[in-house]
Amino acid sequence: MAKQILKCTVNGEAVEALVQPYVTLLDALREDLGLTGPKEGCGTGDCGACSIHLDGHLVASCLVLAMQARGRSVTTIEGLARSGTLTPVQDAFVRHGVPQCGFCIPGVLMAAAALLDENPKPTQEEIRYAIAGNLCRCTGYTTMITAISEAAGVAAKG
Amino acid sequence: MSVMKTTRDVRGVGLSIPRPDGPEKVTGQVPYVADLKPKGLLHAKLLRSPHAHARIKRIDTSRAKALAGVRAVLTAADMPYLKKKAPTRAHAVLAIDRVVFAGQPVAAVAADELAIAEEALDLIDVEYEVLPASVDPLESMKPGAPPVAEAGTEADTSEAQAHGSVAGVKSEAQPAKAVNISQQARLQRGDVAKGLAESDVVIETTYRIPMVHQGYLEPHAVLAQWDTTGQLTLWASTQGSFNTRSEVADVLELPENRIKVIPMECGGGFGGKIRALCEPITAVLARVTGRPVRYVMTRREELEAGMPAPQVIIRLKTGVKRDGTLVALDGEVVIESGAFSGAVLAVSGVFLASLYKWPAFDVRGFEVLTHKPSIAAYRAPVAPHTIFAIDSQMEQLARTIGQDPVAFRLRHLEREGDPMANGQPWLSNGGAEVLARIAEHPLWKSRNDWKASARDGRLRGTGLALGGWLGGLQPTSATVRLNPDGSLNVLTGQVDIAGTNIALAQIAASAYGVDIEHVKITTGDTDVAPLTGLSAGSKTIYTVGTAVLQAAEDARRQTLEIAAKELEASPQDLEIENGKVVVRGVPDRGITLAAIGRKGNLYMSKVPPVLGVATPAFTQQAPAFAAQLARIEVDPDTGEVTLHNFVVVQDAGKAINPLGVEGQMQGGAVQSLGMALTEGLMYDDKGRLMNASLLDYRKLTAADLPNIETIIVEKPSPAGPFGARGVGEPPIVPAPAAIANAIEDATGVRLTELPMTPERIALAIAAQR
Repeated sequence: MAKQILKCTVNGEAVEALVQPYVTLLDALREDLGLTGPKEGCGTGDCGACSIHLDGHLVASCLVLAMQARGRSVTTIEGLARSGTLTPVQDAFVRHGVPQCGFCIPGVLMAAAALLDENPKPTQEEIRYAIAGNLCRCTGYTTMITAISEAAGVAAKG
Repeated sequence: MSVMKTTRDVRGVGLSIPRPDGPEKVTGQVPYVADLKPKGLLHAKLLRSPHAHARIKRIDTSRAKALAGVRAVLTAADMPYLKKKAPTRAHAVLAIDRVVFAGQPVAAVAADELAIAEEALDLIDVEYEVLPASVDPLESMKPGAPPVAEAGTEADTSEAQAHGSVAGVKSEAQPAKAVNISQQARLQRGDVAKGLAESDVVIETTYRIPMVHQGYLEPHAVLAQWDTTGQLTLWASTQGSFNTRSEVADVLELPENRIKVIPMECGGGFGGKIRALCEPITAVLARVTGRPVRYVMTRREELEAGMPAPQVIIRLKTGVKRDGTLVALDGEVVIESGAFSGAVLAVSGVFLASLYKWPAFDVRGFEVLTHKPSIAAYRAPVAPHTIFAIDSQMEQLARTIGQDPVAFRLRHLEREGDPMANGQPWLSNGGAEVLARIAEHPLWKSRNDWKASARDGRLRGTGLALGGWLGGLQPTSATVRLNPDGSLNVLTGQVDIAGTNIALAQIAASAYGVDIEHVKITTGDTDVAPLTGLSAGSKTIYTVGTAVLQAAEDARRQTLEIAAKELEASPQDLEIENGKVVVRGVPDRGITLAAIGRKGNLYMSKVPPVLGVATPAFTQQAPAFAAQLARIEVDPDTGEVTLHNFVVVQDAGKAINPLGVEGQMQGGAVQSLGMALTEGLMYDDKGRLMNASLLDYRKLTAADLPNIETIIVEKPSPAGPFGARGVGEPPIVPAPAAIANAIEDATGVRLTELPMTPERIALAIAAQR
């Protein structure tokens, strides 16, 4: 098949890439644009490790064709901390020792960012549901809830 | 272990310090194997058998080879060095003549693009003659069952050795007619038949735990590249780079020093990335193409053809006196190993017979082969299964004779010095301490109030359980180097899968006498790092921590000797304070660590560099225990369990980095809860996996769980660094029993099969009504 030209905005910058029409956005980001922060944990939209923002909405990039991003704005984990400063959630993740193996972390942080964009003062229940699409096998999620709550300035209760 | 004193407290052991790779991980900068893309990269795919058991009559790869962009197509016929009697999965690189599980690799492709490799798989024609499959382990044990291994294949006990957990139990290969029994072991003491006959209460229960997947988020991945001199480099997601090197060298018949394994960040292992799996075939593809080749398993491949934890079936028959005296235990353990031998058989027998004081016991263990993917370790291999059985049994006994379940367990718990079933004495451990501690928890004390507070037809209950791990051992080595600026470098070959590197650096800081900020630790590749073992079996801090401690003490001794000459003082009179070696009591007589380090690297200097080295081997384990408590609510109509609270109390010996220890406790607990409530690989009667996706293989999410409360108990181990014990395995052990006990407390029904799904619970309640 002939490759097609994908023009879109990625992490605030206009990009162009030649991609196969059957390639997922996740593969285009990872293989063609060198953005390996989004991870492939399942390829079927069940684990959340590939989560990114497409026009500000949380999506599983393994379920989006690259060409569907044409003309749209993509944010990956690499674009979350603009100008090199960690976001409050990223900073809280570091301080609470959330990342263990780290593989799920980019997706969890994109889910948390999407939540706080929409709902800056979520309840613990809302935080739990917001990251329920992100599987993590190391942390048991407890420190994630604590860190997101703290960054949002809401109390995390046991 | 003697710990040298420092005159002031350095920032080291005991502090909660976040892992230094945190900032890189939260920004997506840490590279994993699948993130590597060298020039000329080819992508590999494997054609896998759709049948659990079949003869391969013919393979035709010609159409695949003709596809543009395909660089290699391999079958077993291209690899004459492969052994038909493959002793392990790693050796069974591609199937020879016969496939023995659904998902077994039959052919391999390397192509310019992943999509081309996938297309090539469709162009390989394989003609199978489907054979009857042994799918259920109890059926597979019987004489006449369809055989799994080639006759004469030796049992693989290296996993048991790698975990080094149980000495003194010999497992023997089975030569009899039951062709699929690959190992068996027996532990006996006293007269069990007489004991059961004399018991007032005898309870017999069969417990069944299905295969579960370790569930690491990063699928298996490897990148292989050969250089022009015939050296192979493997970038691997592994729990032990030296182990990976040995296995690949053995399979490919290469000298070990021609292979370099670079351990990349491991996106979760939990025992599933100990043994080689896809490394050998990827290396071969790279050799025949002369190009770097990357292979990344899909999640479906992981679930269908990874190396899950075994199915375990445990039948227990236990007798007690009316006053609670334990009399006899009769047990049978069947561990389903899948298509290749390799189960840690002895762990189960020893925990069944030795956790509590049975005057008479007879435990028979069998490792059984079936036509399913072969198994591997999963965090405390077979301990959660075993504790689910024995702890459930203890709870049932206590309830039947009307005794307090905690007091009943504490009364019969084996203590330090008591003989284990294998004849060795129990070593110092905190089993009784963690159980006593959790029984003081308000959630336990208020369990009757909780039960009475149930509303709207719901039922409420509380359960607890005790479980542990005997502790792994493996020789290791480490170096500690003083730099010309007075900072330290620690070098090991130990893969950091659990946040152990920061803790090892803390050990070095405290043992040498500098703050943690002056210590950098590196995991080296197999060309440069000192030899070390697996990151498995809760032994990294216990063993590698000891090596780092000794190497740091060695470096400190060398430093003080150099300083003694420079200061014309005796080393005994010297102390390291604030980055400076000073004469005790004469604070202005001193020399900085930087000066000593510099002298070791000056042209024409007579001062040698400081390099602390330690190469310890070990004989003494440090058992580690955790007790867990669950407060739940059950909807008796739907069987749905809502987990309201979950508490983990664990003996860490000494928490080198409490933040890291808590992370292990929380994560382990949730894996344990997954086994209890939702997880299980489900096979049809032809041996095909029915739930090969993460939608159907249900792992717990944040929405399923409460926050996990952690309480660290510190009962120092006699031999561990600063008294530390291993902390990785214990938290995955107790939850299935704790949940089953809580369900019985709430509903009065006893669940004996995992996972305890709503369906099973609702049916059990309905049957009881």
